[in-house]
Amino acid sequence: MIKTVTTMLLLLILILPLAAQEDDDVVTDDEVNAVARQLYCPVCENIPLDACGTAACEDWRYEIRLQLEAGMTEEQIIDDFVTRFGDRVVGTPKDPLLRVISVVTPWVMIALGVFWGWRMFQRRMTTNAVEDVQQVSSDEHSHYQDLLEQDIAGG
Amino acid sequence: MLAEIGLFALAFAFASSLYAIGASVFGEWRHSEKIVLTGRNAALLTFMLLLLAIIALQIAILSEDYQIAYVWSVSSPQMPTFFRWTALWGSQAGSLLFWSFLMAAFSATALILNWKSHRRLMPYATAYMMAVVAFFVGITLFYENPFERWWIVDGNEVVRTALIPANAVAPDANRLAETAKGLNPLLRHFGMAIHPPMLYLGFVGFIIPFAFAMSALASGDLSTNWIKASRRWALVAWLFLSLGLILGGRWAYDVLGWGGYWGWDPVENAAFLPWLIGTAYLHSVMIQEKRGMLKTWNMFLVIGTFSAVIFATFATRSGLVDSVHSFARSEIGFPMFFFWFTLTVISVGLILWRRNQGRLRDDHHFKGWLSREMLFVINNVVFLALFVVIFWGSFGAPIVSELFLDTDITIGTDYFMRVTPPLFAVLFVLMGIAPLSAWGTTSLSRMGQALLIPMTLTGVTVAFLYSTGMNTPVALLGYAIVSLAGWVAIVETLRAMMARVRTHGENPIQALFSLIRRNPRRYGGYLTHLGVTIIGIGIIGSTLFQVETQQTLAQGESLYISGYEMRFDNLRARQISSDGRIMDIADVTVLKDGREIATLHPRRDFFPEGDGMNSMTIAGAHSTIENDFYVLLVDWETIDQQSVTFKVYINPLINLVWWGGLVLILGTLFSIYPKETVSVRVRQKLIKQSGNTLALEGASS
Repeated sequence: MIKTVTTMLLLLILILPLAAQEDDDVVTDDEVNAVARQLYCPVCENIPLDACGTAACEDWRYEIRLQLEAGMTEEQIIDDFVTRFGDRVVGTPKDPLLRVISVVTPWVMIALGVFWGWRMFQRRMTTNAVEDVQQVSSDEHSHYQDLLEQDIAGG
Repeated sequence: MLAEIGLFALAFAFASSLYAIGASVFGEWRHSEKIVLTGRNAALLTFMLLLLAIIALQIAILSEDYQIAYVWSVSSPQMPTFFRWTALWGSQAGSLLFWSFLMAAFSATALILNWKSHRRLMPYATAYMMAVVAFFVGITLFYENPFERWWIVDGNEVVRTALIPANAVAPDANRLAETAKGLNPLLRHFGMAIHPPMLYLGFVGFIIPFAFAMSALASGDLSTNWIKASRRWALVAWLFLSLGLILGGRWAYDVLGWGGYWGWDPVENAAFLPWLIGTAYLHSVMIQEKRGMLKTWNMFLVIGTFSAVIFATFATRSGLVDSVHSFARSEIGFPMFFFWFTLTVISVGLILWRRNQGRLRDDHHFKGWLSREMLFVINNVVFLALFVVIFWGSFGAPIVSELFLDTDITIGTDYFMRVTPPLFAVLFVLMGIAPLSAWGTTSLSRMGQALLIPMTLTGVTVAFLYSTGMNTPVALLGYAIVSLAGWVAIVETLRAMMARVRTHGENPIQALFSLIRRNPRRYGGYLTHLGVTIIGIGIIGSTLFQVETQQTLAQGESLYISGYEMRFDNLRARQISSDGRIMDIADVTVLKDGREIATLHPRRDFFPEGDGMNSMTIAGAHSTIENDFYVLLVDWETIDQQSVTFKVYINPLINLVWWGGLVLILGTLFSIYPKETVSVRVRQKLIKQSGNTLALEGASS
């Protein structure tokens, strides 16, 4: 009897922490959504996985839950989805070339546009400066002409 | 009968719009007033015929004429009358007809109002307006005809055609009614009754500034006449576009069930792109009016705005945003792309032609970095930079990736949240300092003096926010930048008000109204800036401090979030509504500090007869100025109906987005209001004097 009770107590001592451990490992909906929010539905266009209402997306969210329960990190899960479904499942491509095309290109375009605009502006300022010099009133023009003529006559 | 009326009206509208183009151009070329007038009358007739077509289609929907294929596809016998009205624009064919009608209505109004005052510009303006109308009527008539009917030919084959095939009989009316599809579930919402017409009005409204600009280029009248003729039209279009965007955000918040109002979806972005260039144009055009500068640039902006409108229409209607190749498969994709491309190339070509002739040379040049015109130019550059990054993320990168690298990519919120905030921040800074600068030149010390009070108030605002516990540096910086723009608008208005109180002895309210009456553009503009500031505060709050949780609750259980408690009381599953939808409704109670503050009913609607997306998640929300308690019914246990999964969001300051929108609309309305050039007092005095003079003249004679 004592042996049986002792065995049961020992089992309890072993099982209880395990059960508690299992409780700690329960993945919450919020943890699943935190990962799903970073992914896009592989079949619908432009719908984040955490907000997509299709049955397929429910299955993928369940898959994320299983992956989290299996101990995978957010990054590993996202990489796994990208490997299986391609770069369309993330908001910015993971592939280095696609990433450069997506993120860097618009800034290059803006920089080129600003540079071109700046050159145009500078050129116009120079032209305007020349025009300012050339724009002499008729009175001033006659005065300068008189001075020149006097100079020539004097010479 | 209705189908025949609609079809003939549409066909004649197409013919009359083509005649209007020909007569206007030929009449102007031959200097024949008579021919030009026939062109104008044909344009007015186009509007009347499209009105007739719209009335025919609307009556067909209301009277449940399901033999008309469009009516069959967007309505059903169970549908409430209210949605029968909105079904007019519920699908491609009807919305294209509605688009064409609104554009013809805008054109007809502009012809009537501007004919005498801007006579020289009108023939070419008529031709351009009618060219765009003719294109849209053409694709409605030949590609997406809303007056096609169902016919049975050869005994059993069902076809839909606009003209009656040989030996055809009409299908059984009862069978058609039984199989009618009904309106797309996502469109069965009050917001959808207002959002599309507002957006369409915003889109089509830009045809008027575009047509006047093109007319100025074609006719050679490159003075500020085209700007005077079109300024108010541009503001009206901008007003409707802003309203359409705000209502679209509200609809997404209420119906799409993801807790937000702007998802950076390509369809949303497509509508936002014309708004960005249009806003740049509204600022830049002031420089041309005041200083005779940026003539070429303004032409590019007004044409760019309308080109963006046509591109947005092409992108959303051709299926381009669903799949980058679908426009090749879509029937209207190619003609729309061709039209957009041709329109843009011709417009740019005309600008370059006039520029090379030296006809677009500026009257003045830039003098100082702090001059108002220079700050407006920087503002324009930032608006265009926003256009570039949003266009690239929405269309450019996905198209390039699919066409050249054979890879589908999604450019999502994280891209847009990375690239747009710095540019919006610069815009807010410019919104704060540009109104304080002067035309021509402004010194740094003068600018500093003008900024002293608004900067102090901004500092006080930030210190107050910090004292309330907000210590996120990004948020504090954001609030500082945004509130500076708002304080400048308030301080400048107050300063002018107090000056008027001192000089005219008016009370502050009278002084404010006098200011708005005397200079509606400036004070309307300040109010619009204030509206944008309020929206900015709302966006920062709801973006940076949104909190969410998803939990499954048994009946009577509660969840806790941000000081709120939400108790799940009951689930009413499979409720059948009068319009045939099946609703699952949860009853929840929201408590704060143990006190019940609201009872909410989040629900999921299922439309058994609908195709494709046939369910809708309607949130339950408790709104205060501080935040929204926003709850969605995510799922429920089918067996016992006892445990339900909820997703709850706390959206801080989100209501400021809607309130700010209202202020922005009010400010724009003030800006559109005609300027009072002579005060009421002076006018009365003049009337009195002229009356005395007349009386004296009468007495002497």
